[in-house]
Amino acid sequence: MLDIKNLHAGVDGKEILKGLNLSINPGEMHAIMGRNGSGKSTLANVITGREDYTVSKGDILFAGDSILDWSPEARSLAGIFMSFQYPVVIPGVNNTYFLKAALNAKRKHAGKKGLDAAGFLKLIKEKLIEVSMDPKYLQRAVNDGFSGGEKKRNEILQMLTLEPTLAILDETDSGLDIDALKIVADGVNRYRNADRSFLVITHYQRLLKYIEPDFVHVLIDGQIVKSGGKELALELEEKGYNWLES
Amino acid sequence: MNISDFNIEFDKMINRDYFSDKVHPLREKAFSKFLEIGLPTKKLEDWRFTNLSSISNSSFRISEKQDAPNGDVDISQYQIDDVETIVIYNGHYIETLSSIPSGIQLLTGLDYLEKTNWEFNSPEHSPFDLLNTAFMDSGMSIVVDQNVIVEKPIRLLFISSGSESLMVTPRIHIDLGESSSATFIEDHRGDSNSFFQNGSTFVTLKQNAQLDHIRIQSNSVTTANIVNIQVEQNANSRYTFFQFADGGQLGRLNIYNELKGEGANSDINGLTLSNDSQHLDNHVITDHQMPHCSSSQNFKTVLQDNSSGVFNGRTIVRKDAQKTDSSQSNKNLLLSKSALMNSNPQLEIYADDVKCAHGSSTGALDKDALFYLRSRGLDVLSAKALLVRGFATELLDLVKHDGTRDFIIDRFDSWLAENTTA
Ligand SMILES: Nc1ncnc2c1ncn2[C@@H]1O[C@H](COP(=O)(O)OP(=O)(O)OP(=O)(O)O)[C@@H](O)[C@H]1O
Ligand SMILES: [Mg+2]
Repeated sequence: MLDIKNLHAGVDGKEILKGLNLSINPGEMHAIMGRNGSGKSTLANVITGREDYTVSKGDILFAGDSILDWSPEARSLAGIFMSFQYPVVIPGVNNTYFLKAALNAKRKHAGKKGLDAAGFLKLIKEKLIEVSMDPKYLQRAVNDGFSGGEKKRNEILQMLTLEPTLAILDETDSGLDIDALKIVADGVNRYRNADRSFLVITHYQRLLKYIEPDFVHVLIDGQIVKSGGKELALELEEKGYNWLES
Repeated sequence: MNISDFNIEFDKMINRDYFSDKVHPLREKAFSKFLEIGLPTKKLEDWRFTNLSSISNSSFRISEKQDAPNGDVDISQYQIDDVETIVIYNGHYIETLSSIPSGIQLLTGLDYLEKTNWEFNSPEHSPFDLLNTAFMDSGMSIVVDQNVIVEKPIRLLFISSGSESLMVTPRIHIDLGESSSATFIEDHRGDSNSFFQNGSTFVTLKQNAQLDHIRIQSNSVTTANIVNIQVEQNANSRYTFFQFADGGQLGRLNIYNELKGEGANSDINGLTLSNDSQHLDNHVITDHQMPHCSSSQNFKTVLQDNSSGVFNGRTIVRKDAQKTDSSQSNKNLLLSKSALMNSNPQLEIYADDVKCAHGSSTGALDKDALFYLRSRGLDVLSAKALLVRGFATELLDLVKHDGTRDFIIDRFDSWLAENTTA
C-alpha cells in the first residue's frame, strides 16, 4: 500500500527526514513514536503532499505509484488521509458545507454522483453518532471555537466520512480525555479492515492499548532506528529513547 | 475634466430651462467655491492614496434629455427579488419603469427643496460636495412619516448606459420620521464604460427611526464613482449601512455619520472586491456627539491583480459622548502579490468613560487553511474560493433582506469564479 524508500526531506534548506524507509501493507496498523522534533509530523505532511516541504531524495509509492509529484488533493482523492496534529481553524467556512464539498469531490472522483443536502445529512448523522459529536458542531465554522478534543474528534469524523484507505493519525490522542480517547479508538477499530491501513503517531502507550498496532517504529533524527511489535511501545515507555541512540 | 471642461458644463447646467431659478444661486455659489479649490490632489491627507486622474484626464458632459432611453429598456437583467424599484437612467428618472412604493412620499427633482423651503444642506467636506451642489441633476427624495414601517425595500436603480462619457450627479434625501423604519437600496449598474458619477445622499433619522441602507456598486470596472453620504441620527435611532462594491475603475465612498442623540446606534459595513487596476477607497467618519451611543465600522476588501484599495475609518468621540461603545475593524485579503491596500483605522477620543476597539489586518490566503482543505480532496481553486467566501461570510450575513443578499452572493460567487487563480 505505502512504500517509503530512502526518503530525504526538509524545509527551508534544513534536512529533517534523513533516509527513512517504511512499508505498510493493506490492513496493517503501524505506530510511530519518537521524541519531539524527531520528524514525525514532517513525515505525515510529506506523505500528504504539503508543499512547504521538499523531497531531495528517495521516493514514496502509494499503491505502486510514485506520488511525489501529486498535489495534496490528488493524494487525498487516491485515499490518503491525515488527521492533523493541529487541526486548522477556518473562520467563516461552515463545517457541513466543507465536509459535503470534500465528500462530493471524493464521490465524483470515484465516478459516483454527489450527495444532495438530504442525503449528506443522513450520512453525516450516522457518523456523528460514531464519534459522539453533537450535530451542533456541523453548524459552526470549521474548528472555530472547538476545544482541543473537539477538533480531534472532528478529524476522526472527517476520516469516517471520507473513507480513506491510508489514514495517518498525527497525535490524535493528544488532548483527548479518557472517555474521548476510548470513543476515538473505538471509531478507529470499527473502521479497521483488511483493505485499510493506518499510520498512528503517538507519544503514549496508552493509545496503543486501545488500538493495537501490528508494528511499532521509533523515529530518531529523521530515521527509523528500530522497529518491532506492540511490545516495543511498552519498552519505550519504560526506558525512554536514550538507549536507542547511537 | 480640467477647469475649462467644468466651466463649459456648468454653463449648460445653468442655462437649462427645466431647473428652477431658485436653485441657480446655490449652484453658482458652490461652483465658484469649487473653482477656487479644484479637484483634490494627493497632497491632501484625505486623498493621499487616491489618484483622481480617471476623472481629471477624461472629459465628461452632463446628461441631457437625449441621454434618457428613447425606447424600452430591459431592466430584467438588473432584477433583485422582492423590492420596489425606482429607475434612474443616465441621471433621468424613468417613471414608466418605476413602481411607487406605498407608505412613503417620493419626491423627484427639486420637489424636496420646495418642501423644505429651500433650506439647503450644502456640506463642504470635500470638493465633491461642492461639485454635487453645482451639478445636481437627478434629485430623488424618500420621506417616511412617523410610525410608518415600510416593509418592502425601496431600491433606486441607477443605470449608466451608452457610449457617451456622461457626468451624472444624483442627490438623494432619505428622511425617516420618528419611530419609522425602512430599507433603502441604491443599486448602481449598467454597461457604460466611461461614466463619472458624483452622488450625494443625505439621511436624517428622527428619534427611534431605523434605516437599513444598502449600496451596490456593480457598474462597469472602468467608471468613476464618488459617493458622499451624510447621516444625521437623533436619539435611539439605528442606522445600518452595507456596501457591496465590485465595480468602478475608481470608487471613493465618503460617509460622515453624526450621532447627535443619546442612544443612537450605527453599523457601517462594506465588502469590496477589486481586480485589474481598480482602485476602491472607503472613507468613513463616525462622530459620537452624545452619550450612550454605539457604533461599528467593519470593512473587508479582497484584492486581485494590480488593484488597490484604501480603508480610512475615523471614529470621533466628543467630550460629551460618555459611555460610547465603538469598534472599527478592517481586514483585507490580497490574492495577488501586486495588489496594494492602505488601511488606516483611527480613533479620536475626547471623553474618558468609553469603550473603543480597533484593528486592521492585511494578508494573503492562509496557507495552512489552504493545505487543510486540499488535504481533504478539494481542488486548489475550490479551496481558495471557499476560503475567500469564508472571509466574506460574516459581512454577507449582515444583509438581512433575502432577495438582496441572494443577488449579492451570486455576484460575489461569479466574481470568485473569475478571480480565483491557482
Ligand atoms: N515549516 C517548518 N519550518 C521550519 N522548521 C520546521 C518546519 N516544520 C518542521 N520543522 C522542524 O523540523 C523538526 C521536526 O519537526 P516535526 O514537526 O516533524 O517533529 P515531530 O516529530 O512531529 O515533533 P512533535 O512530537 O513535537 O510533534 C523540528 O525541529 C521542527 O522545528
Ligand atoms: Mg508532530
